[in-house]
Amino acid sequence: MIIQSLAFYLFSIVAVASAVMVISARNPVHSVLFLILAFFNSAGLFVLLGAEFLAMILVVVYVGAVAVLFMFVVMMLDINFTALREGFLQYLPLGGLIGLVLLLELAVILGGWIIAPGAAERAAAPTPAIDSVNNTEALGQLIYTNYIYFFQAAGMVLLVAMIGAIVLTHRSRPGVRKQKISEQVAREDSIEMRDMPSGGGI
Amino acid sequence: MAEFWTGYAWPAIWIGLQVVAIIIPLLLCVAYLVYAERKVIAAIHLRRGPNVVGPYGLLQPIADGMKLFFKETVIPTGANRGVFIIAPVLTFTLALIAWAVIPVGDGLVIADINVGILYLFAISSLGVYGILMAGWASNSKYAFLGGLRSAAQMVSYEVSMGFIIISVLLVVGSLNLSDIVNAQRHIWFVIPLFPMAVIFFVSTLAETNRHPFDLPEAEAELVSGYNVEYSSMAFALFFLGEYANMILMSAMTTILFLGGWLPPFNVAPFTWIPGPIWFAAKIAFCLFIFLWVRATFPRYRYDQLMRLGWKVFLPISLAAVVIVGGVVLAFDIQSLVK
Amino acid sequence: MPDLVPALPEIFLAVMSMALLMAGVFQKEENAGRSVSYLAIATLVVTIAIVGVVADGRASTFGGAFVTDGFAVYVKVLILIATAAAVLMSREYLERHGIFRFEFPVLMVLAALGMLMMVSANDLISLYLGIELQSLSLYVIASFQRDTTRSAEAGLKYFVLGALSSGLLLYGISLVYGFSGSTNFDALAQLFQAGQSPLGVTVGIVFIIAGLAFKVSAVPFHMWTPDVYEGAPTPVTAFFAVAPKIAAMALFVRVMVGAFGDLGDQWQQVIIFISIASMVLGAFAAINQTNIKRLMAYSSIGHMGYALIGLAVAGGAGNAEARADGVSGILIYLAIYMFMNIGAFACILQMRRNGRMVEGIGDLAGLSKSNPAMAVVLATFMFSMAGIPPLAGFFGKLYIFLAAIEAELFALAIIGVLASVVGAFYYLRIVKVMYFDAPEEGFDGPVSMEMKAVLVVTGVVTLFFFVWPLPILAGAGLATAALLPG
Repeated sequence: MIIQSLAFYLFSIVAVASAVMVISARNPVHSVLFLILAFFNSAGLFVLLGAEFLAMILVVVYVGAVAVLFMFVVMMLDINFTALREGFLQYLPLGGLIGLVLLLELAVILGGWIIAPGAAERAAAPTPAIDSVNNTEALGQLIYTNYIYFFQAAGMVLLVAMIGAIVLTHRSRPGVRKQKISEQVAREDSIEMRDMPSGGGI
Repeated sequence: MAEFWTGYAWPAIWIGLQVVAIIIPLLLCVAYLVYAERKVIAAIHLRRGPNVVGPYGLLQPIADGMKLFFKETVIPTGANRGVFIIAPVLTFTLALIAWAVIPVGDGLVIADINVGILYLFAISSLGVYGILMAGWASNSKYAFLGGLRSAAQMVSYEVSMGFIIISVLLVVGSLNLSDIVNAQRHIWFVIPLFPMAVIFFVSTLAETNRHPFDLPEAEAELVSGYNVEYSSMAFALFFLGEYANMILMSAMTTILFLGGWLPPFNVAPFTWIPGPIWFAAKIAFCLFIFLWVRATFPRYRYDQLMRLGWKVFLPISLAAVVIVGGVVLAFDIQSLVK
Repeated sequence: MPDLVPALPEIFLAVMSMALLMAGVFQKEENAGRSVSYLAIATLVVTIAIVGVVADGRASTFGGAFVTDGFAVYVKVLILIATAAAVLMSREYLERHGIFRFEFPVLMVLAALGMLMMVSANDLISLYLGIELQSLSLYVIASFQRDTTRSAEAGLKYFVLGALSSGLLLYGISLVYGFSGSTNFDALAQLFQAGQSPLGVTVGIVFIIAGLAFKVSAVPFHMWTPDVYEGAPTPVTAFFAVAPKIAAMALFVRVMVGAFGDLGDQWQQVIIFISIASMVLGAFAAINQTNIKRLMAYSSIGHMGYALIGLAVAGGAGNAEARADGVSGILIYLAIYMFMNIGAFACILQMRRNGRMVEGIGDLAGLSKSNPAMAVVLATFMFSMAGIPPLAGFFGKLYIFLAAIEAELFALAIIGVLASVVGAFYYLRIVKVMYFDAPEEGFDGPVSMEMKAVLVVTGVVTLFFFVWPLPILAGAGLATAALLPG
């Protein structure tokens, strides 16, 4: 258990610290790199919880795809972020006030938090018994049955996002000569095949 | 105290030994893969290749390593030091830690985790960061362009790789690598899933930035791409990382399609040879194709590369998921391979 | 296998949207837009038929996340009509501006799908997913004219503020879930039967109200509306002003009455506040507008304020009859609002001079001389929006105010009447400009067939609603009975 606890504290401390660095780093590329580190450590926390599938998906999707594109964009941007931050102090009082209000609200709410009596038992007994299936199967069984509607609806949302990205950015340029690879490959008049003796010439 | 030894110390030492047992041969393989590459390409070009240092040039990789080791590490003035140094280390580390889940024989694996193939996929998708970071931190336009090209290329081909992996998973019904290999004891997946195996292999070429998809390095236009500013050990780490990645990708191809450590036929002369040897032989075969392709094909143009990834491989692999899924469901394949 | 029959209209629409996408892709670019847009209208009409056929009491499916009942059917029909009309009206404009790409009708259909999902949502998660599907499509079509900065700005503004409101909504949803342990409306309603809830749920409800108020563009979450209405292409504005408003309002009613109905005393004041603020701001801010699309934006803010009176009434504990009248008041108001707005925007879409769209109110000057027919029609809609009897708009307001008086919310009713008096000023100003100002050059003609059809239908409904109000009244009655049984 000691190793698990140590790993937990390691992952959490690194995750929190890198999350702080994301917003405080001066260089935006460093921010993205710290964000990736935060994702990575969250994946570690998932592993400790026994949710290895979620951990891997977090790495594959967020670190391996989303953050790459993010980094891509940030690297290409030519924005002076320190100049953008100059107004920071000006907005600090208002922003701080809103933050404080939200914090107080959370405190008030958490003060009134009552853990439901059956909650611990329900958490201890996940829907399919944990020893009969691994957590990939368990997730699959829930997503494709109870939550199929949400799953499909989320799919539609992604479809719209895809159509939107294409509609808003795709430009078909007139007068571009398209390469037709099949025609090139099928071309025979200018190609001649000959058998060559090894080590010889034509 | 006894608890400390039995509970923590021995397991830690044992794991350490296992790690060493994987990494030392791996690094040797990487070194001799470079040698093999030069020899194979030389043979295809009707040349002799390295033959001066040691018998048949066998000490050439060691000489090369020594040279790089004793050179000075140059960090350009405008470079972002931290990121510049982390990038090659990251590339190299990622190529090594993936081996934690690779089963080299029946039960011969450091961590036999449930989601092994996802772990491999996740690690291979992280490889892009080393290159992107190197390209950005070098503060040089060649390196930056190389990094961007590489990132776009790896992200594109990862998509179809992911779908191919899913179609294999549908057949096996498990994400565990040992299960995937064991499911191939009747027939290697390369036969029923031949088109997918081809796409997967070509995608691994793109994923490792190898020829004919080596646009990130394209020496004619980008000098050497993302690693142009690197020298000495930092360069060596990139170099080792790239070749270790080739071996890793060959291992992945072997596990997914060539039956891992299983012999081709389950009869006497074949079964005498132990599993790890078979595994190594298959990896060597895949690596040979890597080299063969390099010597044979000209480099793709960038738009052709993207076209191939998004307009050819992606639709085919998507269709493959649907078709394989349908067949698996209709004929209850999963219970056949269990 | 969940029962798919109740969700048949949505499934049909989803499948058809993908089929339309394919139909558009595999066609010559020149005629893809036109044919896909007709196909989209046909799809929407067929969906109305399916909605009608499937309607059979209350049915829920997908583990209670999706419900269809009289209320859903009534609102769905309104949404589908509004969407079909918007697709019909957009063709001419888009062709003229050279942006008629087939994705436009497809995105409209997808937005309609999102709205139907919102209306049928019986779970906080399906509520959120429906809203996202709808909003995402709307963000894209707001900036559909991507080469003009105003349209791009409208889309971006809408997107950023919409994302913020989704954040508020999700925050509220997570609080409600955290303190009640369920996201299902039926379960929530049962849990709060006694009219008591933990503090966290109350805070959550306030956040949910804030998120939804953004979607119906009620004050103080209205800031995006004028800019987005002005910047978006005019047919898109016409669509924004109608279908999403109806869907969001229906969803608002469903969440508040369906899930938190017994907690009325906790959220009623909030609704009263945003209702009053919307009515007052809608009335006063519109006075100074010179751009007719901005004017319509403030007008829609005001109208949402009136509709929210009904919701405030429905939140009153006790008097069941008044609550029912409040809900049916909203539904009648929404139906009438839909017809008036579609008609008004069909007129605005005709404001074209020398091949370019004009949007100033001053451009309408002397319309009675240059195009008397259109002047009469537009005047009808303006009188109706102002609430002059015997036009439809008057009855919409009447039912709402009656419900408010019945629930003894006198302040709300009085402020509502005063606000509509102020509002009448700017509606009538348009009529004055058309009839008494020195004539400007006439608009480009001729009016296309489909526009004429839209104008005639909406005009007839607005003008002669009082002759045969039964279909809308009966529909609203059935819908209310479904939402508030007993």
